[in-house]
Amino acid sequence: MRDGFDEFVADRLDRLLRYATAMTCDKHLANDIVQDVLLRARERWARIAAMDAPYLYVKRMVTNEYLSWRRRRAARDVSASHAALDEVAPPVADHAVRHAERDAMRRRIAMLPRRQRAALVLRYYEDSTDAEIAAVLGCTESTVRSHISRALKTLRVNENTPVEVLR
Amino acid sequence: MTDREMLIREAIAAEADEAVDAREVMAQLHRRRARRRTGSLLAVAALTAAAAAVAVVVPMTVSRDAAPPATSSTAVTPLAPQNVLLVGLDEYQHADSVALARVTPTGVAVVSLPRDTWVEVPGQGSDRLTLVYTNAHDSGGVAAGAQALTRTVEALTGVTVDHYAVVEMSAFAKLADAVGGVEVCLNAATKDLRTGADFPAGQQVVSGDRALDFVRQRYGLVQGDLDRVRRQQAFLSALGAKLLDRSFLDDTAKVTGLLGVVRSSVQTDDGWDLLAFARGLTAGTPIRATTIPVEPGEEPAGHVLRPDPAAVRQFVGTFFADQPAGPSSGTATAPGGGPVCVD
Repeated sequence: MRDGFDEFVADRLDRLLRYATAMTCDKHLANDIVQDVLLRARERWARIAAMDAPYLYVKRMVTNEYLSWRRRRAARDVSASHAALDEVAPPVADHAVRHAERDAMRRRIAMLPRRQRAALVLRYYEDSTDAEIAAVLGCTESTVRSHISRALKTLRVNENTPVEVLR
Repeated sequence: MTDREMLIREAIAAEADEAVDAREVMAQLHRRRARRRTGSLLAVAALTAAAAAVAVVVPMTVSRDAAPPATSSTAVTPLAPQNVLLVGLDEYQHADSVALARVTPTGVAVVSLPRDTWVEVPGQGSDRLTLVYTNAHDSGGVAAGAQALTRTVEALTGVTVDHYAVVEMSAFAKLADAVGGVEVCLNAATKDLRTGADFPAGQQVVSGDRALDFVRQRYGLVQGDLDRVRRQQAFLSALGAKLLDRSFLDDTAKVTGLLGVVRSSVQTDDGWDLLAFARGLTAGTPIRATTIPVEPGEEPAGHVLRPDPAAVRQFVGTFFADQPAGPSSGTATAPGGGPVCVD
Protein backbone atom coordinates (compact mmCIF):
# COMPACT_ATOMS: atom_id res chain seq x y z
CA MET A 1 0.00 0.00 0.00
CA ARG A 2 1.20 3.47 -0.80
CA ASP A 3 0.10 4.70 2.62
CA GLY A 4 2.23 1.97 4.16
CA PHE A 5 5.30 3.36 2.44
CA ASP A 6 4.55 6.96 3.42
CA GLU A 7 4.06 5.83 6.98
CA PHE A 8 7.36 3.98 6.93
CA VAL A 9 9.13 7.10 5.68
CA ALA A 10 7.45 9.32 8.27
CA ASP A 11 8.45 6.92 11.07
CA ARG A 12 11.94 6.01 9.94
CA LEU A 13 13.39 8.77 7.82
CA ASP A 14 15.04 10.63 10.68
CA ARG A 15 16.55 7.44 12.09
CA LEU A 16 17.81 6.34 8.67
CA LEU A 17 19.41 9.72 8.02
CA ARG A 18 21.15 9.65 11.38
CA TYR A 19 22.35 6.11 10.86
CA ALA A 20 23.63 6.91 7.36
CA THR A 21 25.30 10.10 8.58
CA ALA A 22 27.09 8.26 11.39
CA MET A 23 28.21 5.58 8.95
CA THR A 24 29.36 7.87 6.13
CA CYS A 25 30.58 10.80 8.27
CA ASP A 26 29.14 13.00 5.51
CA LYS A 27 25.60 14.33 5.87
CA HIS A 28 25.22 15.20 2.19
CA LEU A 29 26.30 11.79 1.05
CA ALA A 30 23.99 10.26 3.67
CA ASN A 31 21.07 12.32 2.36
CA ASP A 32 21.74 11.26 -1.24
CA ILE A 33 22.01 7.60 -0.31
CA VAL A 34 18.88 7.53 1.85
CA GLN A 35 16.75 9.32 -0.76
CA ASP A 36 17.95 7.08 -3.53
CA VAL A 37 17.32 3.93 -1.53
CA LEU A 38 13.85 5.06 -0.46
CA LEU A 39 12.80 5.80 -4.04
CA ARG A 40 13.91 2.31 -5.03
CA ALA A 41 12.26 0.74 -1.98
CA ARG A 42 9.00 2.44 -2.90
CA GLU A 43 8.87 0.61 -6.21
CA ARG A 44 9.14 -2.72 -4.46
CA TRP A 45 7.23 -1.73 -1.38
CA ALA A 46 4.65 -4.53 -1.51
CA ARG A 47 7.46 -7.08 -1.29
CA ILE A 48 9.46 -5.23 1.34
CA ALA A 49 6.42 -4.58 3.54
CA ALA A 50 5.64 -8.30 3.52
CA MET A 51 9.03 -9.09 5.08
CA ASP A 52 9.58 -9.78 8.77
CA ALA A 53 11.74 -6.71 9.23
CA PRO A 54 11.29 -4.04 6.54
CA TYR A 55 13.41 -1.51 8.44
CA LEU A 56 16.31 -3.93 8.65
CA TYR A 57 16.03 -4.59 4.92
CA VAL A 58 16.03 -0.89 4.04
CA LYS A 59 18.95 -0.35 6.40
CA ARG A 60 20.77 -3.08 4.56
CA MET A 61 20.06 -1.33 1.23
CA VAL A 62 21.44 1.92 2.65
CA THR A 63 24.54 0.18 3.98
CA ASN A 64 25.21 -1.66 0.73
CA GLU A 65 24.78 1.50 -1.24
CA TYR A 66 27.53 3.13 0.80
CA LEU A 67 29.87 0.16 0.97
CA SER A 68 29.70 -0.35 -2.76
CA TRP A 69 31.15 3.06 -3.56
CA ARG A 70 34.80 3.11 -4.28
CA ARG A 71 36.99 3.20 -1.23
CA ARG A 72 39.67 5.57 -2.36
CA ARG A 73 37.32 8.45 -2.97
CA ALA A 74 35.28 8.00 0.19
CA ALA A 75 38.42 7.92 2.31
CA ARG A 76 39.68 11.13 0.75
CA ASP A 77 36.35 12.88 1.21
CA VAL A 78 36.09 11.90 4.85
CA SER A 79 39.56 13.06 5.78
CA ALA A 80 38.98 16.30 3.90
CA SER A 81 35.78 17.10 5.74
CA HIS A 82 37.37 16.25 9.06
CA ALA A 83 40.35 18.46 8.40
CA ALA A 84 37.86 21.30 8.61
CA LEU A 85 36.57 19.88 11.88
CA ASP A 86 40.09 20.02 13.33
CA GLU A 87 40.18 23.74 12.84
CA VAL A 88 36.78 24.62 14.21
CA ALA A 89 37.09 22.41 17.28
CA PRO A 90 40.49 22.87 18.94
CA PRO A 91 40.87 21.27 22.39
CA VAL A 92 40.33 23.98 25.05
CA ALA A 93 39.69 24.42 28.77
CA ASP A 94 39.06 21.85 31.51
CA HIS A 95 35.30 21.43 31.27
CA ALA A 96 35.66 20.96 27.53
CA VAL A 97 38.10 18.07 27.82
CA ARG A 98 35.43 15.44 27.38
CA HIS A 99 34.18 17.33 24.34
CA ALA A 100 37.64 17.43 22.87
CA GLU A 101 38.13 13.74 23.53
CA ARG A 102 34.85 12.97 21.86
CA ASP A 103 35.69 15.00 18.78
CA ALA A 104 39.11 13.36 18.56
CA MET A 105 37.37 10.00 18.72
CA ARG A 106 34.99 11.11 15.99
CA ARG A 107 37.91 11.86 13.72
CA ARG A 108 39.54 8.53 14.46
CA ILE A 109 36.31 6.68 13.75
CA ALA A 110 35.97 8.58 10.48
CA MET A 111 39.30 7.16 9.36
CA LEU A 112 38.41 3.52 9.97
CA PRO A 113 37.80 1.25 7.00
CA ARG A 114 34.18 1.56 5.94
CA ARG A 115 33.04 -1.94 6.84
CA GLN A 116 34.56 -1.66 10.30
CA ARG A 117 32.90 1.69 10.82
CA ALA A 118 29.53 0.36 9.66
CA ALA A 119 29.81 -2.52 12.14
CA LEU A 120 30.75 -0.11 14.92
CA VAL A 121 27.81 2.21 14.19
CA LEU A 122 25.42 -0.71 14.10
CA ARG A 123 26.61 -1.92 17.48
CA TYR A 124 27.07 1.37 19.34
CA TYR A 125 24.43 3.51 17.70
CA GLU A 126 21.74 1.11 16.50
CA ASP A 127 22.38 -1.30 19.40
CA SER A 128 22.17 -4.20 16.98
CA THR A 129 23.09 -7.75 17.94
CA ASP A 130 25.90 -9.53 16.11
CA ALA A 131 23.29 -11.50 14.18
CA GLU A 132 21.53 -8.32 13.06
CA ILE A 133 24.81 -6.70 12.08
CA ALA A 134 25.72 -9.82 10.11
CA ALA A 135 22.38 -9.61 8.31
CA VAL A 136 22.89 -5.95 7.41
CA LEU A 137 26.50 -6.35 6.28
CA GLY A 138 25.81 -9.66 4.56
CA CYS A 139 28.58 -11.54 6.38
CA THR A 140 28.94 -14.08 9.20
CA GLU A 141 28.75 -13.21 12.89
CA SER A 142 32.39 -14.09 13.37
CA THR A 143 33.30 -11.60 10.65
CA VAL A 144 31.25 -9.00 12.50
CA ARG A 145 33.17 -9.67 15.70
CA SER A 146 36.44 -9.45 13.81
CA HIS A 147 35.46 -6.10 12.23
CA ILE A 148 34.58 -4.68 15.63
CA SER A 149 37.61 -5.99 17.46
CA ARG A 150 39.92 -4.68 14.76
CA ALA A 151 38.18 -1.31 14.85
CA LEU A 152 38.47 -1.12 18.65
CA LYS A 153 42.12 -2.08 18.47
CA THR A 154 42.85 0.62 15.90
CA LEU A 155 41.03 3.20 18.01
CA ARG A 156 43.00 2.13 21.10
CA VAL A 157 46.38 2.14 19.38
CA ASN A 158 45.73 5.54 17.84
CA GLU A 159 44.46 7.10 21.03
CA ASN A 160 47.60 9.07 21.73
CA THR A 161 48.57 9.76 18.16
CA PRO A 162 47.62 13.15 16.76
CA VAL A 163 45.15 12.89 13.92
CA GLU A 164 47.47 14.88 11.65
CA VAL A 165 50.04 12.08 11.82
CA LEU A 166 47.50 9.38 11.03
CA ARG A 167 46.25 11.11 7.95
CA MET B 1 30.73 -0.88 29.17
CA THR B 2 34.21 0.57 29.27
CA ASP B 3 34.94 4.26 29.28
CA ARG B 4 36.31 3.97 25.76
CA GLU B 5 33.09 2.38 24.58
CA MET B 6 31.15 5.22 26.20
CA LEU B 7 33.33 7.66 24.32
CA ILE B 8 32.76 5.77 21.07
CA ARG B 9 29.01 5.90 21.67
CA GLU B 10 29.12 9.63 22.29
CA ALA B 11 31.31 10.23 19.25
CA ILE B 12 29.02 8.26 16.94
CA ALA B 13 25.93 9.97 18.36
CA ALA B 14 27.59 13.35 17.75
CA GLU B 15 28.28 12.35 14.16
CA ALA B 16 24.67 11.22 13.74
CA ASP B 17 23.45 14.57 15.08
CA GLU B 18 24.96 16.19 12.00
CA ALA B 19 22.26 14.55 9.87
CA VAL B 20 20.22 16.72 7.52
CA ASP B 21 16.76 17.66 8.85
CA ALA B 22 14.28 14.91 7.96
CA ARG B 23 11.53 17.40 7.02
CA GLU B 24 13.79 18.95 4.42
CA VAL B 25 14.64 15.53 3.01
CA MET B 26 10.95 14.60 2.91
CA ALA B 27 10.26 17.64 0.72
CA GLN B 28 13.15 16.73 -1.60
CA LEU B 29 11.81 13.20 -1.89
CA HIS B 30 8.39 14.48 -2.98
CA ARG B 31 9.96 16.69 -5.62
CA ARG B 32 12.04 13.83 -7.00
CA ARG B 33 8.98 11.59 -7.27
CA ALA B 34 7.12 14.21 -9.27
CA ARG B 35 10.07 14.82 -11.58
CA ARG B 36 10.57 11.17 -12.27
CA ARG B 37 7.11 10.89 -13.76
CA THR B 38 7.60 13.62 -16.35
CA GLY B 39 11.09 12.67 -17.36
CA SER B 40 10.96 8.94 -17.61
CA LEU B 41 9.01 8.52 -20.83
CA LEU B 42 11.27 10.50 -23.13
CA ALA B 43 14.39 9.53 -21.34
CA VAL B 44 13.88 5.80 -21.40
CA ALA B 45 13.05 5.93 -25.08
CA ALA B 46 16.29 7.70 -25.83
CA LEU B 47 18.39 5.40 -23.73
CA THR B 48 16.87 2.25 -25.06
CA ALA B 49 17.30 3.30 -28.64
CA ALA B 50 20.95 3.99 -28.01
CA ALA B 51 21.48 0.79 -26.06
CA ALA B 52 19.79 -1.18 -28.78
CA ALA B 53 22.01 0.42 -31.39
CA VAL B 54 25.09 -0.62 -29.46
CA ALA B 55 23.78 -4.11 -28.78
CA VAL B 56 23.37 -4.54 -32.51
CA VAL B 57 26.53 -2.74 -33.56
CA VAL B 58 28.80 -4.66 -31.21
CA PRO B 59 28.23 -8.16 -32.57
CA MET B 60 28.33 -6.73 -36.08
CA THR B 61 31.76 -5.22 -35.78
CA VAL B 62 33.18 -8.05 -33.73
CA SER B 63 32.10 -10.74 -36.14
CA ARG B 64 33.89 -9.15 -39.06
CA ASP B 65 37.27 -10.11 -37.62
CA ALA B 66 36.25 -12.99 -35.42
CA ALA B 67 34.45 -15.04 -38.04
CA PRO B 68 36.60 -17.70 -39.71
CA PRO B 69 37.35 -16.38 -43.23
CA ALA B 70 36.88 -19.81 -44.83
CA THR B 71 33.22 -19.95 -43.94
CA SER B 72 32.24 -16.33 -44.06
CA SER B 73 31.94 -16.01 -47.82
CA THR B 74 30.32 -19.36 -48.53
CA ALA B 75 28.20 -20.00 -45.47
CA VAL B 76 26.43 -16.65 -45.29
CA THR B 77 22.73 -17.14 -45.52
CA PRO B 78 20.35 -14.23 -45.67
CA LEU B 79 19.30 -13.25 -42.17
CA ALA B 80 15.88 -14.54 -41.28
CA PRO B 81 13.84 -11.65 -39.86
CA GLN B 82 13.72 -12.03 -36.08
CA ASN B 83 12.49 -10.28 -32.96
CA VAL B 84 14.97 -9.66 -30.15
CA LEU B 85 14.21 -8.51 -26.62
CA LEU B 86 16.93 -6.16 -25.32
CA VAL B 87 17.25 -5.69 -21.56
CA GLY B 88 19.55 -3.21 -19.80
CA LEU B 89 20.05 -3.82 -16.06
CA ASP B 90 21.08 -1.51 -13.25
CA GLU B 91 23.21 -2.80 -10.38
CA TYR B 92 20.16 -4.02 -8.47
CA GLN B 93 18.86 -6.26 -11.23
CA HIS B 94 16.13 -3.83 -12.19
CA ALA B 95 15.42 -3.89 -15.90
CA ASP B 96 16.12 -0.19 -16.43
CA SER B 97 15.63 -0.28 -20.17
CA VAL B 98 13.56 -2.75 -22.13
CA ALA B 99 13.23 -2.73 -25.90
CA LEU B 100 11.92 -5.01 -28.58
CA ALA B 101 13.90 -5.01 -31.84
CA ARG B 102 12.79 -6.35 -35.19
CA VAL B 103 15.95 -7.23 -37.11
CA THR B 104 15.83 -7.86 -40.87
CA PRO B 105 18.59 -7.81 -43.50
CA THR B 106 17.54 -4.31 -44.53
CA GLY B 107 16.98 -2.61 -41.22
CA VAL B 108 16.48 -2.67 -37.47
CA ALA B 109 13.33 -1.31 -35.84
CA VAL B 110 13.46 -0.76 -32.09
CA VAL B 111 10.44 -0.19 -29.85
CA SER B 112 11.13 1.01 -26.31
CA LEU B 113 8.93 -0.16 -23.46
CA PRO B 114 9.24 2.33 -20.56
CA ARG B 115 10.35 0.73 -17.31
CA ASP B 116 7.30 2.02 -15.41
CA THR B 117 4.77 0.59 -17.87
CA TRP B 118 1.99 -1.10 -15.88
CA VAL B 119 1.73 -4.55 -17.47
CA GLU B 120 -0.21 -7.78 -17.09
CA VAL B 121 2.19 -10.54 -16.12
CA PRO B 122 0.67 -13.76 -17.51
CA GLY B 123 -0.70 -15.75 -14.58
CA GLN B 124 0.48 -13.25 -11.95
CA GLY B 125 -1.54 -10.05 -12.05
CA SER B 126 -0.12 -6.60 -12.76
CA ASP B 127 3.25 -5.03 -12.04
CA ARG B 128 5.76 -2.50 -13.30
CA LEU B 129 7.59 -3.80 -16.35
CA THR B 130 10.98 -3.27 -14.69
CA LEU B 131 10.02 -5.51 -11.76
CA VAL B 132 8.81 -8.38 -13.92
CA TYR B 133 12.45 -9.14 -14.59
CA THR B 134 13.62 -8.42 -11.05
CA ASN B 135 11.05 -10.61 -9.33
CA ALA B 136 11.61 -13.59 -11.61
CA HIS B 137 15.38 -13.08 -11.39
CA ASP B 138 15.22 -13.23 -7.59
CA SER B 139 13.95 -16.78 -7.73
CA GLY B 140 15.49 -18.16 -10.91
CA GLY B 141 18.38 -16.04 -12.24
CA VAL B 142 18.89 -14.32 -15.59
CA ALA B 143 17.12 -16.94 -17.69
CA ALA B 144 14.02 -16.89 -15.48
CA GLY B 145 13.99 -13.08 -15.51
CA ALA B 146 14.34 -12.92 -19.27
CA GLN B 147 11.66 -15.56 -19.80
CA ALA B 148 9.16 -13.80 -17.54
CA LEU B 149 9.86 -10.54 -19.35
CA THR B 150 9.53 -12.31 -22.71
CA ARG B 151 6.07 -13.68 -21.88
CA THR B 152 4.94 -10.30 -20.58
CA VAL B 153 6.21 -8.37 -23.61
CA GLU B 154 4.69 -10.93 -25.99
CA ALA B 155 1.33 -10.57 -24.27
CA LEU B 156 1.54 -6.78 -24.41
CA THR B 157 2.73 -6.33 -28.00
CA GLY B 158 1.37 -9.43 -29.72
CA VAL B 159 4.86 -10.00 -31.14
CA THR B 160 6.66 -13.33 -30.68
CA VAL B 161 10.13 -12.89 -29.16
CA ASP B 162 12.75 -15.10 -30.85
CA HIS B 163 15.80 -14.20 -28.76
CA TYR B 164 16.90 -12.03 -25.86
CA ALA B 165 20.04 -10.19 -24.83
CA VAL B 166 20.62 -8.95 -21.26
CA VAL B 167 23.43 -6.48 -20.51
CA GLU B 168 24.51 -4.93 -17.20
CA MET B 169 25.20 -1.25 -16.80
CA SER B 170 28.63 -2.02 -15.35
CA ALA B 171 29.65 -3.36 -18.77
CA PHE B 172 29.92 0.27 -19.92
CA ALA B 173 33.19 0.69 -18.05
CA LYS B 174 34.68 -2.39 -19.68
CA LEU B 175 33.37 -1.52 -23.13
CA ALA B 176 34.89 1.96 -22.86
CA ASP B 177 38.23 0.42 -21.90
CA ALA B 178 38.06 -2.09 -24.72
CA VAL B 179 37.75 0.63 -27.35
CA GLY B 180 40.47 2.77 -25.76
CA GLY B 181 38.17 5.42 -24.28
CA VAL B 182 35.01 7.14 -25.44
CA GLU B 183 34.88 10.80 -26.42
CA VAL B 184 32.13 12.82 -24.70
CA CYS B 185 31.41 16.51 -24.24
CA LEU B 186 29.86 18.47 -21.37
CA ASN B 187 28.23 21.88 -21.56
CA ALA B 188 29.49 22.74 -18.09
CA ALA B 189 31.75 21.28 -15.42
CA THR B 190 29.93 19.00 -12.94
CA LYS B 191 30.71 17.52 -9.56
CA ASP B 192 29.11 14.45 -8.00
CA LEU B 193 29.26 14.73 -4.20
CA ARG B 194 28.51 11.09 -3.93
CA THR B 195 31.33 9.58 -5.97
CA GLY B 196 33.69 12.53 -5.85
CA ALA B 197 33.80 12.39 -9.65
CA ASP B 198 34.49 15.79 -11.20
CA PHE B 199 34.15 16.38 -14.92
CA PRO B 200 35.39 19.54 -16.64
CA ALA B 201 33.40 21.33 -19.33
CA GLY B 202 34.12 20.54 -22.97
CA GLN B 203 35.34 17.51 -24.89
CA GLN B 204 37.03 14.70 -23.01
CA VAL B 205 37.77 11.00 -23.24
CA VAL B 206 36.36 8.71 -20.53
CA SER B 207 37.10 5.06 -19.83
CA GLY B 208 36.88 2.50 -17.02
CA ASP B 209 35.55 3.77 -13.69
CA ARG B 210 35.30 7.31 -15.02
CA ALA B 211 33.07 6.11 -17.83
CA LEU B 212 30.84 4.44 -15.26
CA ASP B 213 30.79 7.61 -13.13
CA PHE B 214 29.90 9.56 -16.24
CA VAL B 215 26.86 7.46 -17.13
CA ARG B 216 25.71 7.04 -13.53
CA GLN B 217 25.97 10.61 -12.29
CA ARG B 218 22.60 11.88 -11.21
CA TYR B 219 23.53 14.19 -8.35
CA GLY B 220 24.65 17.71 -9.07
CA LEU B 221 22.86 17.67 -12.45
CA VAL B 222 20.11 20.19 -13.11
CA GLN B 223 17.54 17.64 -14.22
CA GLY B 224 18.77 14.61 -12.29
CA ASP B 225 17.55 11.38 -13.84
CA LEU B 226 16.71 12.99 -17.14
CA ASP B 227 20.20 14.43 -17.57
CA ARG B 228 21.64 11.10 -16.62
CA VAL B 229 19.78 9.37 -19.39
CA ARG B 230 20.96 12.00 -21.88
CA ARG B 231 24.48 11.26 -20.78
CA GLN B 232 23.96 7.56 -21.29
CA GLN B 233 22.62 8.23 -24.74
CA ALA B 234 25.57 10.47 -25.62
CA PHE B 235 28.00 7.91 -24.25
CA LEU B 236 26.43 5.01 -26.13
CA SER B 237 26.24 6.96 -29.37
CA ALA B 238 29.90 7.88 -29.09
CA LEU B 239 30.75 4.29 -28.23
CA GLY B 240 28.88 3.10 -31.30
CA ALA B 241 30.73 5.62 -33.48
CA LYS B 242 34.05 4.44 -32.08
CA LEU B 243 33.21 0.81 -32.79
CA LEU B 244 32.49 1.58 -36.43
CA ASP B 245 35.66 3.60 -36.84
CA ARG B 246 38.21 2.10 -39.24
CA SER B 247 41.12 2.66 -36.86
CA PHE B 248 39.39 0.54 -34.25
CA LEU B 249 38.24 -2.20 -36.61
CA ASP B 250 41.77 -2.60 -38.00
CA ASP B 251 43.27 -3.07 -34.54
CA THR B 252 43.05 -6.83 -34.02
CA ALA B 253 44.14 -6.72 -30.36
CA LYS B 254 41.41 -4.23 -29.46
CA VAL B 255 38.75 -6.11 -31.37
CA THR B 256 39.72 -9.34 -29.61
CA GLY B 257 39.53 -7.56 -26.25
CA LEU B 258 36.10 -6.24 -27.07
CA LEU B 259 34.90 -9.68 -28.04
CA GLY B 260 35.87 -10.92 -24.56
CA VAL B 261 33.97 -8.09 -22.88
CA VAL B 262 30.86 -8.75 -24.93
CA ARG B 263 30.99 -12.46 -24.15
CA SER B 264 31.33 -11.87 -20.43
CA SER B 265 28.81 -9.06 -20.01
CA VAL B 266 26.03 -9.75 -22.48
CA GLN B 267 23.88 -12.78 -21.74
CA THR B 268 21.67 -14.27 -24.41
CA ASP B 269 19.41 -17.29 -24.71
CA ASP B 270 21.26 -20.54 -25.39
CA GLY B 271 19.62 -21.11 -28.74
CA TRP B 272 20.87 -17.90 -30.31
CA ASP B 273 23.79 -18.20 -32.73
CA LEU B 274 25.20 -14.70 -32.29
CA LEU B 275 27.92 -15.09 -34.91
CA ALA B 276 25.47 -16.19 -37.56
CA PHE B 277 23.22 -13.35 -36.52
CA ALA B 278 26.05 -10.86 -36.77
CA ARG B 279 27.26 -12.18 -40.14
CA GLY B 280 23.82 -11.66 -41.56
CA LEU B 281 24.01 -7.94 -40.83
CA THR B 282 26.12 -5.32 -42.50
CA ALA B 283 27.65 -2.14 -41.13
CA GLY B 284 25.42 0.88 -41.65
CA THR B 285 22.19 -1.07 -41.32
CA PRO B 286 19.60 1.65 -40.66
CA ILE B 287 18.14 1.71 -37.15
CA ARG B 288 14.76 3.27 -36.37
CA ALA B 289 13.46 3.74 -32.85
CA THR B 290 10.23 4.67 -31.15
CA THR B 291 8.33 4.19 -27.88
CA ILE B 292 4.97 2.51 -27.27
CA PRO B 293 2.05 4.86 -26.52
CA VAL B 294 1.29 5.10 -22.79
CA GLU B 295 -0.59 7.42 -20.44
CA PRO B 296 0.48 8.51 -16.94
CA GLY B 297 -1.52 6.71 -14.25
CA GLU B 298 -1.67 6.08 -10.54
CA GLU B 299 -1.48 2.74 -8.72
CA PRO B 300 -0.94 1.81 -5.07
CA ALA B 301 2.67 1.21 -6.13
CA GLY B 302 3.00 4.86 -7.19
CA HIS B 303 3.16 6.61 -10.55
CA VAL B 304 2.99 4.26 -13.51
CA LEU B 305 2.50 4.45 -17.27
CA ARG B 306 -0.61 2.78 -18.64
CA PRO B 307 -0.63 1.16 -22.06
CA ASP B 308 -3.78 0.63 -24.10
CA PRO B 309 -3.21 -3.02 -25.13
CA ALA B 310 -5.10 -2.82 -28.44
CA ALA B 311 -3.38 0.43 -29.42
CA VAL B 312 0.05 -0.94 -28.46
CA ARG B 313 -0.43 -4.03 -30.61
CA GLN B 314 -1.43 -2.04 -33.60
CA PHE B 315 1.36 0.48 -33.06
CA VAL B 316 4.09 -2.16 -32.82
CA GLY B 317 2.70 -4.18 -35.72
CA THR B 318 2.66 -1.15 -38.00
CA PHE B 319 6.11 0.04 -36.96
CA PHE B 320 7.66 -3.39 -37.54
CA ALA B 321 5.93 -3.88 -40.88
CA ASP B 322 7.13 -0.54 -42.20
CA GLN B 323 10.77 -1.07 -43.17
CA PRO B 324 12.09 1.73 -45.37
CA ALA B 325 15.59 1.74 -46.81
CA GLY B 326 17.78 4.73 -46.02
CA PRO B 327 20.45 6.03 -43.70
CA SER B 328 20.30 5.53 -39.95
CA SER B 329 18.35 8.18 -38.10
CA GLY B 330 20.49 7.96 -34.97
CA THR B 331 23.50 10.21 -35.46
CA ALA B 332 26.44 9.73 -33.16
CA THR B 333 28.26 12.96 -33.84
CA ALA B 334 27.45 16.65 -34.10
CA PRO B 335 27.55 18.30 -37.53
CA GLY B 336 30.99 19.70 -36.73
CA GLY B 337 32.38 16.17 -36.25
CA GLY B 338 32.88 16.18 -32.46
CA PRO B 339 30.63 14.51 -29.86
CA VAL B 340 27.27 16.10 -28.98
CA CYS B 341 27.60 18.13 -25.77
CA VAL B 342 25.28 17.27 -22.86
CA ASP B 343 24.69 18.58 -19.32
